[in-house]
Amino acid sequence: MSIGSPNNITQAATRDIAGPLLELTDVRTHFRTPRGLVRAVDGVSFTLDRGKSLGIVGESGSGKTILSRSIMGLLPTKGTERSGSIKFAGAEIGDKNRKQMRHVWGKEMAMIFQDPMTSLNPLMKIGDQIAEPLRIHLGMSRADATATAKRLLQDVRIPEPERRLEQYPHEMSGGMRQRVMIAIAMACGPTALFADEPTTALDVTVQAQILDLLGEQRRERNMSLVLVTHDLGVVAGHTDEIAVMYGGKLVEKAPTKRLFAAMKMPYTEGLMASIPKLEQPSHSRLNVIPGRPPDLVHPPKGCRFAPRCPYASAKCIEEEPPLTQTADDPSHSYACWFPVGSPEYHEARARIAATAGVN
Amino acid sequence: MTNMTDPADPMAPAEFTDIVTHEAHATLDDQIDARLKQVRRRRIPKFGVLFGATFLTVLLTLTIFADFLPFIRSADTKVRIDGKLMSNYKLGPGWDAWWGTDGNGFDVFARCIYYARYTLWIGLSSTAIGLLVGGALGMAAGYFRGKTDRVISILVDCLLAIPALVLAIMLVRRLDDIKLDYTWLGWMTRMWQIILTLSILAVAPLARIVRAQTMALREREFVLAARSLGSGNLRILFREILPNLVPTMVTVAATGLGILIAAEGALAFLGLGLETSWGFMINANRNRLEKAWWATIFPCLMLFLTVLSFNLIGDRLARRFDVREAAV
Repeated sequence: MSIGSPNNITQAATRDIAGPLLELTDVRTHFRTPRGLVRAVDGVSFTLDRGKSLGIVGESGSGKTILSRSIMGLLPTKGTERSGSIKFAGAEIGDKNRKQMRHVWGKEMAMIFQDPMTSLNPLMKIGDQIAEPLRIHLGMSRADATATAKRLLQDVRIPEPERRLEQYPHEMSGGMRQRVMIAIAMACGPTALFADEPTTALDVTVQAQILDLLGEQRRERNMSLVLVTHDLGVVAGHTDEIAVMYGGKLVEKAPTKRLFAAMKMPYTEGLMASIPKLEQPSHSRLNVIPGRPPDLVHPPKGCRFAPRCPYASAKCIEEEPPLTQTADDPSHSYACWFPVGSPEYHEARARIAATAGVN
Repeated sequence: MTNMTDPADPMAPAEFTDIVTHEAHATLDDQIDARLKQVRRRRIPKFGVLFGATFLTVLLTLTIFADFLPFIRSADTKVRIDGKLMSNYKLGPGWDAWWGTDGNGFDVFARCIYYARYTLWIGLSSTAIGLLVGGALGMAAGYFRGKTDRVISILVDCLLAIPALVLAIMLVRRLDDIKLDYTWLGWMTRMWQIILTLSILAVAPLARIVRAQTMALREREFVLAARSLGSGNLRILFREILPNLVPTMVTVAATGLGILIAAEGALAFLGLGLETSWGFMINANRNRLEKAWWATIFPCLMLFLTVLSFNLIGDRLARRFDVREAAV
């Protein structure tokens, strides 16, 4: 390790560091189970710059939650095999144990969970829950911590913060509680925030508010945001880049606008097609990707998406496509032999259209 | 659709009231009323807790202020009427001695009230020690799992495998001997021996329940959230998990208290407990049950009602906090 003690990773150090804030190289997280080794995350690499936001998108079981928890080091140690390198602000954190990570958690990286109903302690006042990380990490006095907690509640747009500080989680609505969670996560000014499906448990009307709030706080605090979700609509307007995960692997990564305009992976295309469109007549059938996610104990030999891919050919089933950059944009990479737009793709489409016409 | 709004359908949800016609309103309201009544009736009456709480409050007040209450004799004063000693069960329940006198002429009522002090004190302190030790063991086992859990679980299983009364008798006897060998144990009166014994009995079931609860709680998302903010193990245990354990602990403690008091009575009955105990009174007078029933029945009744009260309160708490416990 290049730096002596875990304490060396301080806010000041990470605030103005050169280079990417987060750098993942071939990260693998496997779980030993009675059924065999589950390859939940299987060789993921990406970098994330300071103040940028990245959306990790994928369906259930694609490994997106495990990936975010692997980066945070929040996984159970028993039965877990981890490899690869995770660099945070230039320092390796992948090999750190819990004790060393405690200085990083909350202060450098924080996490927001899916369900604000369960991620707040039901028996602790909101004020105490916000003050806790302040007192642990910054050694604030009770009075200072309460004052800061009040300011944080104001930051997350909670009216009457003084009254709210004295309330218990059950006295608040889901959206309010998620705001409180965001306030807690941001209490110590982390440089990276992981939001694991932060709006999935919330009302649709509140979702946009929470996402806007996250984006606003990210810009104000120059914080990096990793937004994990299964909903492309959630990441569309709120992230700089999107990484699509499938079967524990990154299958496509591109700047948000480019991904929506020029996706390469048939899986991404399938995800896009499954978003219901406003202009569709009511009661029209939703587009789905047929089949189910791959078994991560025995993943398919070739491309993991091949069994479900409408355009798959023999090569897809036999050989695994590497993650390659597109010719025109190095920030856009994908893992597919016959990406959307290639001649083979058009050929396969024509074939499908022909058989559909016959039927 | 007609089926849904049919006022005759008792399952029709209340939201549909505004769709049905006006006349139908009355009948639907009636039905809702009837439904509510049914629900109220089905709710288990609170009479139990009320009785338990009242009985314990009265008992506690009487026993604490016994010295100052004019209608309670001293437990160690023999009853004399016109200078004559009322020994040999001479007085039955009546005005002079409410619950009669015993073989030595002591007032049974006064003794029952005074001895409640020892009984309650033993019950409370052994439950407290049991909670402290059992709670700590259970939390450690449930939170740290692995080797810690294995060692503690084996210990607890061993304790649970021995019949409680046999273990209690063995322990009290053994403590008698140990006390003689080690002079520094001089502080240990008979009462402390019993408290210690009973708390050891209380440790195992409490540790088990707390362990199970802790295991469930440590997987909860708010614990993960606390960890992701940098809370250490101790902080998580005491700030996040312990407060959530309190309802369970209180519930189990209330029921356990009743059981420990019964156990104390049993020990005293067997001659291993205090002589200032209901159990001892029952044992001392039981041979004369036919002639002087009061000297046995009243202490029995006290023991019975006290244990019952704690159980009723415990049941109510269990229902309130939704604690599902194995038989303690």
